[in-house]
Amino acid sequence: MKDLSYRDVNREIMNAMTPPGKLYVLIVAFLFVGILVLFSFWGYQISRGLGVAGVMHPVVWGTYLVNFVFWVGIAHSGTLISAILYLLRAPWRTAIARSSEAMTVFAVMTAGLFPLIHLGRVWVVYWMIPYPNQRNLWPNFQSPLVFDVVAISTYLTVSVLFWYTGLIPDLAAIRDQAKGVRRRLYGLFSLNWTGTHHQWGHYGWSYLLFAALATPLVISVHSVVSWDFALSIVPGWHSTIFAPYFVAGAIHSGLAMVLVLLIPLRRIYRFENIITMNTLENIAKTIILTGLIMGYSYGIEYFMAWYSGDRVEEYTFLWRAIGHYAPQFWIMLICNTVAPLFYFFKKLRTNLVTLCSIAVLINLGMWFERYVIIVGSVAHEYDPYSWGIYSPTWVDYGILVGSFSLFLFLFFLFAKFLPAISITEVKEELEPPRRRGAGRCKEATG
Amino acid sequence: MAELGRRDFLKLMGLTSTVTAVGCSSETPRKLIPYISPPEDVIPGKATWYASTCRECPAGCGLLAKNRDGHIIKVEGNPLHPTSGGKLCPRGQASLHGLYNPDRFPGPLKKEPNGKFSLISWEEGEGLLIGSLHNAIKKGHGDRIVFMTDLVTGTLHDLIGTWLKEFGSTEGHIIYEPFSYEPLREANQIVFGRDAIPHYRIEQADFLISFNAGFLETWLSNVDYARQFASFHAVSEAGRHPFVFVGPRLSMTANNADLWLAVAPGYEYLVALAILRIILDENLLPSINPEPREILKAAVAPWPLEKITDKTGLSGPLLQKVTHRFAQASRPLALAEGFSTLCPHARETAVAANLLCCLKPGTQQTIDFSSTSAYGDVARISVIRELSERMKRGEVEVLLIYGANPAFSLPASWEFQKCLESVPTVVSFSSAMDETSALAHLVLPSHTPLESWGDYPPRTGVLGLMQPVMGSLFNSKPLGDILLSAGRSFKGQQRFPWKDFYALLQDSWRLKWQEMKPSVPFDSFWEKAVERGGFWETESTDPPGLSLRTTSFHFPEPDVPADSATGFHFTAYPTIQFFDGRGANRLWLQELPDPLTQTTWGGWVEIHPETAEKLKIEKGDMLRLRSPYGAIEVPALPIFTVPEDTLAVPIGQGHTSFGQFADGHPANPMHLFPPDVDPVEGGMVRPNLRVSLEKLDKHLPVAHTDGSFTQHDRGFAQVIGFPDYLKGVTSNHKPDIVPPLPEGFDPKRDFYPPHEHKDYRWCMVVDLDRCIGCGACVVACYAENNVAVVGREQVLRGREMSWLRVQRYFEPDAAVAQWLPMFCQHCDCAPCESVCPVYAPHHSKEGLNNQVYNRCIGTRFCSQNDPYKVRRFNWFTFTRPVPLNWQLNPDVLVRQKGVMEKCSFCVQRIIEAKTEARNEGRMVRDGEVTPACVQTCPAEVFTFGSLLDPVSRVSKMMWDPRAYQVLAQLNTKPAVFYLKKVIETLDIVS
Repeated sequence: MKDLSYRDVNREIMNAMTPPGKLYVLIVAFLFVGILVLFSFWGYQISRGLGVAGVMHPVVWGTYLVNFVFWVGIAHSGTLISAILYLLRAPWRTAIARSSEAMTVFAVMTAGLFPLIHLGRVWVVYWMIPYPNQRNLWPNFQSPLVFDVVAISTYLTVSVLFWYTGLIPDLAAIRDQAKGVRRRLYGLFSLNWTGTHHQWGHYGWSYLLFAALATPLVISVHSVVSWDFALSIVPGWHSTIFAPYFVAGAIHSGLAMVLVLLIPLRRIYRFENIITMNTLENIAKTIILTGLIMGYSYGIEYFMAWYSGDRVEEYTFLWRAIGHYAPQFWIMLICNTVAPLFYFFKKLRTNLVTLCSIAVLINLGMWFERYVIIVGSVAHEYDPYSWGIYSPTWVDYGILVGSFSLFLFLFFLFAKFLPAISITEVKEELEPPRRRGAGRCKEATG
Repeated sequence: MAELGRRDFLKLMGLTSTVTAVGCSSETPRKLIPYISPPEDVIPGKATWYASTCRECPAGCGLLAKNRDGHIIKVEGNPLHPTSGGKLCPRGQASLHGLYNPDRFPGPLKKEPNGKFSLISWEEGEGLLIGSLHNAIKKGHGDRIVFMTDLVTGTLHDLIGTWLKEFGSTEGHIIYEPFSYEPLREANQIVFGRDAIPHYRIEQADFLISFNAGFLETWLSNVDYARQFASFHAVSEAGRHPFVFVGPRLSMTANNADLWLAVAPGYEYLVALAILRIILDENLLPSINPEPREILKAAVAPWPLEKITDKTGLSGPLLQKVTHRFAQASRPLALAEGFSTLCPHARETAVAANLLCCLKPGTQQTIDFSSTSAYGDVARISVIRELSERMKRGEVEVLLIYGANPAFSLPASWEFQKCLESVPTVVSFSSAMDETSALAHLVLPSHTPLESWGDYPPRTGVLGLMQPVMGSLFNSKPLGDILLSAGRSFKGQQRFPWKDFYALLQDSWRLKWQEMKPSVPFDSFWEKAVERGGFWETESTDPPGLSLRTTSFHFPEPDVPADSATGFHFTAYPTIQFFDGRGANRLWLQELPDPLTQTTWGGWVEIHPETAEKLKIEKGDMLRLRSPYGAIEVPALPIFTVPEDTLAVPIGQGHTSFGQFADGHPANPMHLFPPDVDPVEGGMVRPNLRVSLEKLDKHLPVAHTDGSFTQHDRGFAQVIGFPDYLKGVTSNHKPDIVPPLPEGFDPKRDFYPPHEHKDYRWCMVVDLDRCIGCGACVVACYAENNVAVVGREQVLRGREMSWLRVQRYFEPDAAVAQWLPMFCQHCDCAPCESVCPVYAPHHSKEGLNNQVYNRCIGTRFCSQNDPYKVRRFNWFTFTRPVPLNWQLNPDVLVRQKGVMEKCSFCVQRIIEAKTEARNEGRMVRDGEVTPACVQTCPAEVFTFGSLLDPVSRVSKMMWDPRAYQVLAQLNTKPAVFYLKKVIETLDIVS
């Protein structure tokens, strides 16, 4: 990367934005069908009632909330990479910051859909918002779900602003090369960026500010999401470890998702020079750390269940490992804690195939972790008479597939219409070009 | 509330009789509320209570029907009636579903040559009836007109008799009841010299042993006996009267016993013989006179105790202990099922039980032959056999059927359908389709009992009246009117001078009045009878004495079939939900979990879990049960209610054309029985058959609602040993209760401040020691609160909506089960309240945990955080087929999809009582508010009241030494206190 010139950077990154090929159009169309599935199934569910999904008594929260937590988790490492690593000045983040931020924004958007899909009466969801009304009815600020509304909407706002702020100089660079409508459109969104010192100064400050603002959110949002569970009295949920455990899990899954997205992206768009193997290795190493934290958390949960002496708590964790949802539990355990250990081997973490497959496994494991926690804990709760077994229906699966379609659809559009790697930041990492000619210098500011 | 209900109806009843007579003639739904000239007693928004009689089974309990704006919306027991005493069983609660049955006939139907029914007019229908009668009479075959009904007594019975006699058919009225108890009658004849079924006074006994008599479920008069049993079995410091059950299956009744002696079907009488033998051998009752002593000695001579223990597998010492306890009692009562279909040797068992009743003079008080059951009028099955033969031979010209459904309840091997086919004209007066009506040529639908005038004495001395509780919904007519008009067209006005059946009924009551109370004018006598729901005198104190007839008794060896080594013992049993199957098209009854198996919607075969494991049979595997007489296919349900070598199938399912809710469920166990008639008692022959079992390659999930057999040691349904209970009572030890009041809050333990209550703090006490598990409360709750019925598929998905569940937990050794009525605990520190984002669960000033349906957005967090799992979510907008929606209670919102609901402590009833109290300028009195479950419970399990009233019953019962709160460790401070079941009251149970 060090050998690249500014011109090379521009060329390499914007190469990805050439008019799409047939395969791209096909994939995007396919994903769009997935989105149609999502919304038509949701519509069907609204018209018939939630009973078309698998939710039942006692498992009244099903895959919708599993998906919600999963996608919120995915959203986390985007901010981690772009904000925390930015503040910590970890240079390897540069190449992947933009796409992981985009991943964050799209994942939060996807996640935000699920509480709505999950609601029995989504048409009155606005009652959760504290707005002045004649009836003087306010939401219940004791409820973790109200915390959730605040946390998720804050997170979405901040991550969108953060992402957009970073995009402005790059949008201007694209504008400078584009013609016609594209030029006008990119011009509009680049907010008349001209690259003056003044603007760069503001840009630098605001980026830093958003990075600082986003950093606590990484911790807080998933902590709040974990309180949806930890503040209840359900055995298997009611635990103080939930907040750090969920945050670690979120980063775990998010980093894995970054790998899953970037490895193909890097290959397709020939970003090998920019997203180097070193970057990917660093992600893999971080995943080892989060994986170990996950393993520790699982261990602590079992220890606490035993140590508490609470019969119900003990049973819950025993049943988790040997009961109806044992396969899901073991998938979770192996994928989340054992699989990342293979990244200790340099050979495996530098091989794209193993690197990517283990990341896929981690994502699978993290989805099942949420499934095991959300579904498995209430399935066999306090009252043995009310025990029951949940299984998803075709509506659940359709909406799950639809959510992946929505996420990938947005990501595909992003990769084609926006610079998937931050041009500005990559250039910042390069040696500043020496003045050899006016043309080159002008280009460099772009 | 029971008092309130009575007052209400007393106030309003005076006006009703004549008006309902008019209302009854309005035939179409449009005229249900003729507001143009409103009847005096219909005040919109105000309920009117009509007294009538429940006709869901021959017990004939008195009921009150709540009529709101022309619809009947609820039935409750008539508190004045000696049988019901204000209580009803699940079937009684569901009786109005017979009126609103969506499968009722739309009008008279004629069978076309293609075998399909077509709708005709009443003129044509009655013309056809008259025509066919005319044909028979013209041929001189008047005696070939047969009228087959279920158990009708009173005026309609007399009318049918007169009517048939006019056509020359003297013996033509045949009363068919599948549960006909011939062996019991025969045994009473043998031992007491009375061919009748007495009224048992269980509450006056001090020891009860039941030989498979399910008197809490269907036997004779289950509400009456459940009420009596509750007071018989109530625990006090002196202990309690013991109840021993002998039978092949842990039935609901057996599970209420202090001791269940499991014996194979047909071996029950051996236990009675063992008791007799031990008493005589050990001379435990020296007071027995020498003469009967000799008779008894002779009877049990061939039965040494070793032989009995050998055959039954029961231990000798145990039988000895039971006998000693029996001998100690001064009024021991032995009941026997006495119904041959259920168990072999029914007669021997009943005789042996009767002999036990002769041992102590005190027992005579408990058996009242001065008030005999109407069951005595039922035709013996031999009569039905004879009729079937006549039908086959073509000697029945016209068969009229009302209420009876022999095509369903007789075994397939009887071939009753074939018999029906040889009758030229079969006319059904059934109000809805059933298996017998499906084979009729003409259907003239009659009113259901709740729409008709009539009377029904369930036993001598109790004359229940029936009156129309609302206008008729369908194009049907009262049977009496149909008969009268047909009679008139034959024999003219003179022979049948009455305008309608109502006039006839009044006339026949005029005769009764002349017999009984000539001092009061008839009009006021009649009015009072209609108000009260009938006429009955206060019970005579001492029934006439019984005497053992000096007959010799021979008890045969239990017969053992040839294939006894390979097959299973088999028992079919009637359930409290379906009786003989007539309840099967009632939505509530289908959805009500069976007391022990907790199964809804469809039949099953009970098999011991160990046997199932050995045979690699899993729950829901379809099994073919084959007896020498037939075969049925039914899904397996491994459960501890049967011993390893016994299979049990409930009676009442397996309908083929009984309506949309009943049809297609497996299976009718009657098909496994032979069609033969016992020549001695005239009942069904029930050989000691064995059933073979074949696993089919099919699977039919069993829609049960329980998630686990046991409570995993979590203290939901708690028990207390009698010594501990005694210690608690005498030491005045206070139970570990956290009251749902401000004093229950402790800043060290509670994060949130206490709730301040205004005027009332409603709470409930549930006495588990009294609960018999019948489920009447569940059905009452469905009726009162518009709880949706979700159907089989949704029950399988765990989406049943019941607000109140009678949860069943087997003890760890699976020998016996506990019941626990579970519903919203109205906690003072409710976990559901704090997690809702929009305050849909709301803590009221009176301590109620109100669910505000219109505020609910459906996050379901409340249910997730509810440790009792009593909140129910509307997964769909559940609807009811027309006209079942007419039953909906207008005081309770009908919930739509996407909202949570749960028990409200019948808040509408609280409001009603408060309104009344406010109008009178006072507070609500203790006992004035009666939620629906409390109202109907025959065992009086529930007590409802306010904790802010220091002298209320609940305020005292809360500190009963047996009191506990479920999951108290969660600090939810429930406002429902359970009183532990007392065990170890019977010292013979180790």
